[in-house]
Amino acid sequence: MTTSTNAPHTPHTPASGAPVRRKEDARLLTGRGRYVSDLVLPRMRHVAFVRSPLAHARITGVDVGEALATEGVHAVFTGEHPRIAPVALRARSALPGYVETDQPPLARGKVRFAGEAVAAVVADDRYLAEDGAEGVLVDYEPLAPTVCAWEEPTDPVHEEAPDNLLLSRTFRAGDVDAALAGAAVVVDRELTTNRHGGNPIECRAGVARYEAADRRLTFWSGTQVPWIVRTQLAELLDLPEASIRVIVPDVGGGFGVKAVLYPEDVALCLMAMTMPGTPLKWVEDRVEHLLAATHARDHRYVLRAGFAADGELLAVKADVWCNTGAYSVHPWTAGIEPLMAGGLLTGPYKLADYECTVRGVATNTSPSGPYRGVARPSTVFAMEALLDSGARALGMDPIALRRRNLILPADVPYRMPSRLVDDSGAYEACLDKAVETFDLGRWRAEQTRRRREGGWPVGIGVAVYNELTGLGRAASAGPRMAFRTGHDACTVRVQPDGGVTVFSGVTSQGQGLETTMAQVVADALGVAYEAVEVRIGDTDESLWGFGAFSSRQAVIGGGAAHLAGEEVRGKALALAAALTEAPVEELDLRGGQVYMAGQQKPVISLAEVGRVAYLQSDRLPDGVEPGLESTRFYDPIRGAFAAGAQVAALAVDPATGEIHILDWVCVEDAGRIVHPVIVDGQIAGSIAQGIGGAMFEHLVYDDAGNLSTGTLLDYLMPTAAEIPELRIGHVSTPAANPTGVRGVGEGGTLAPNAVVAGAVADALGIEIDDLPVTPSRVWELVHP
Amino acid sequence: MKAPPFDYHRATGVADAVEALRAADGEGKVLAGGQSLVPLLALRLARPAVLVDINRVPDLDRLELRDGVLHAGALVRHLGLAAQDRHPLAAEAARWVGHTAIRSRGTLAGSLAHADPSAELPAVLRACDGAVHVAGPGGRRRLGADALFVGALQSDLADDEVITEVELPVPDAWGFAEFARRHGDFAVVAVVAARFGERLRLVVGGVGAVPHLVDVGDLTTVDGELSQDRVAILAAAAADDVDPPTDLHGSAGHRRALTEQMALRALAQLAGHRTPEVV
Repeated sequence: MTTSTNAPHTPHTPASGAPVRRKEDARLLTGRGRYVSDLVLPRMRHVAFVRSPLAHARITGVDVGEALATEGVHAVFTGEHPRIAPVALRARSALPGYVETDQPPLARGKVRFAGEAVAAVVADDRYLAEDGAEGVLVDYEPLAPTVCAWEEPTDPVHEEAPDNLLLSRTFRAGDVDAALAGAAVVVDRELTTNRHGGNPIECRAGVARYEAADRRLTFWSGTQVPWIVRTQLAELLDLPEASIRVIVPDVGGGFGVKAVLYPEDVALCLMAMTMPGTPLKWVEDRVEHLLAATHARDHRYVLRAGFAADGELLAVKADVWCNTGAYSVHPWTAGIEPLMAGGLLTGPYKLADYECTVRGVATNTSPSGPYRGVARPSTVFAMEALLDSGARALGMDPIALRRRNLILPADVPYRMPSRLVDDSGAYEACLDKAVETFDLGRWRAEQTRRRREGGWPVGIGVAVYNELTGLGRAASAGPRMAFRTGHDACTVRVQPDGGVTVFSGVTSQGQGLETTMAQVVADALGVAYEAVEVRIGDTDESLWGFGAFSSRQAVIGGGAAHLAGEEVRGKALALAAALTEAPVEELDLRGGQVYMAGQQKPVISLAEVGRVAYLQSDRLPDGVEPGLESTRFYDPIRGAFAAGAQVAALAVDPATGEIHILDWVCVEDAGRIVHPVIVDGQIAGSIAQGIGGAMFEHLVYDDAGNLSTGTLLDYLMPTAAEIPELRIGHVSTPAANPTGVRGVGEGGTLAPNAVVAGAVADALGIEIDDLPVTPSRVWELVHP
Repeated sequence: MKAPPFDYHRATGVADAVEALRAADGEGKVLAGGQSLVPLLALRLARPAVLVDINRVPDLDRLELRDGVLHAGALVRHLGLAAQDRHPLAAEAARWVGHTAIRSRGTLAGSLAHADPSAELPAVLRACDGAVHVAGPGGRRRLGADALFVGALQSDLADDEVITEVELPVPDAWGFAEFARRHGDFAVVAVVAARFGERLRLVVGGVGAVPHLVDVGDLTTVDGELSQDRVAILAAAAADDVDPPTDLHGSAGHRRALTEQMALRALAQLAGHRTPEVV
């Protein structure tokens, strides 16, 4: 028997669920990516920012004479420039008590953190621009800096907030004091978590070009959120939205730090508007990135929990301080971390009595903003630390204690004490599979053997977490902002030759969204994956998308792609039915061919249908317009919680503090998986980033507000050598959205803080209260 | 992160390099592998008026063993040092320098001239009681390891001198142990142990301004086998002998403890003691 790979009766093989060759690979894996950093335009000039060397100071004078006299320098801008001075970024929220503050594109009057842009130099190339930047002489009158968010300030960062408190909110459910009074054991923990930067391989980058004749601004940017940027720029620059085009070509990583509209972005566009026809380019270098891109996770937690004798979690009372840095990050506000911390602290555990006061405190440090996991790597650490303390106090197995309190399938939908509604319930399934894969019994035996026979002590760490993904309008990201980020749009167009072009509002920073969207559309429409081309990252091409954050794009952008694909399929079949005089309900579209039920040969191809739709209007049935496309929005209304569990075994040398990861298992519920390799890549990458945060990465300010970790020599990113072989498993409970997916972009980062701290504590019989868990810190704890 | 303006001179020979450095009047810098210098330029922490590139100077990449001493030209790269088997200690230490890309360009002589007290190769030079050959306007001189390193990132080299060759005596036995935050990082603490006859030289990197030669009197004279007891005594004495700083990657106390632990490992390796599998 022979078979032909092109046999017309071959049923459609779904693209979703298969590890298809990624659409991006030909560009990104062969060095042919097109990044903003690579962009060269005629007459383009380069920008270097002059940054404040002081954390907090009044600006008493800026002398740009020497800079302007530098070879190759064309212009120098300061915050007092008439086009820049009236503009301020102001992150708005209707949250009660939130103090709105202004962030100037270039510092005006005073500087609020070391690294804040004070002036900008435009020159023929970046070298000359940096030469010019050295010639900008700024006089400062120092003010007392505040670095720590839980110490009394001397000189407030913003006059509007004399105590530096930008926002505070108390989450309250039940009666926490009564519940604590009735608890069999009460445990207390005081924890701090460390300060991280995003550190994508490609730092921030932008090119702005303004054409005076038609008042059009084009902004090439590495942003994760092009439509948000367009809307905000229109307001700040006083331009019609349609006059701004944001183009996002290939982007070398984002991790949240590019989901922000930065003062440098606004300054670049404002400067370009004063220099019509001259494109201005700024590519952030690593020193600037560490100094002035958003930071995250500089938090303090004061916690108390009560447990019943059988291990039931009865009450959690928490006070949380989040260091929001010098400015309320635009447009997400200073609420981004504190509100996430208070909303998700209890994680996947059932709890009735909860009280948590969160605060966003301004300091003279780089603003904090969205970074993969937003607050939850810290809150999972806090919650798991409480459970570990509870298990010790009760003499209970820590995994059994967790199991006792997990939200179970029967509890779903579960209303968390913060009133978020959890739709997952797969926590126990993830934990069970993780523990089984890990082989807990073997590791417990090894732990005992080493205690008896010697060798580095082994500890076991565990964390269970819920990743809030694909937030719809009812649970939208951001605190009562002027916009709701629940929806995205997608246009699916069948071309006259039957090819399919997808114009999606998603953005990709390397996570393969072109591939994912193509898979979804191929299956929804009934064409081969190879026939689908995806266009993203251009506000003039696609209709709308909020962009990449909150693990939202597979859920929301994918939902829109699926709906648009389905709708075009309906249109194509209706036209095919008219052209073939067949009943539409007996037609099926697979692999780009239309089949009649019971027949092996196709009755018409999608290419033929497309040709008629665009070129042969004489063949169109009455009332049918030419063209073959559809645009749909999708909003999941709530969102999809994604469950996950991680378990690891670590060995620790008490003599040096050295930590070796021996085994690491992660099981997540990604719902229905679209691309298994991309999904595992997201999980592995986020665990690596989490391990980096737990053990290596730490942005340290000295008391004067100088960043002590200003290069990658001191800010330690994990390398392949530091990340162990990860064993990744899945459970699958499809979510109630068009494609059944749950987001996977962030989940992996949520556990490593808790897992590493828990395992080291378990190995040495100590408590870890402060992150990161470094050899030095471990050694100090063992040798007090 | 773009270098400030500088002039570039491609040296055709050692004399030409020296003349270019002399003409730069204290504002010249030798460019060999560039693995420390180029980042310093990009950060504008170094501002030489002239870079004197010695990469095209002939015959500086020689590597040969003569009379128990490895002679390495100024352009011998870390990768070349790691690949040779005539000086196994230097080969091992070179493998701990950075990553492949760094090792393929970075040079032994450059690392010594840069004099980073946390770098591996300065500690090896001192443990082996090696020396550098230096060319300058006044002629050539030979500078021993103890005299070469005068402070953190400070050597005894004059602004117009260039290292032409490194001498590394091959020890009878050796041990190398390093504690770093990550694979490829500079050492938090590194210990190099080298034995020449009855004489033991123990050098600790990362605990002071220069690689620290442990001075514990007669303890470093060993007749015959190095016993496990002596290893323990020596390691504890080494820890007492250092006065380390505190920084982001380790407190003074932690570094002192690391000195003892790394000394234990390095000396056990030197003595050929079996060490238990611990991880």
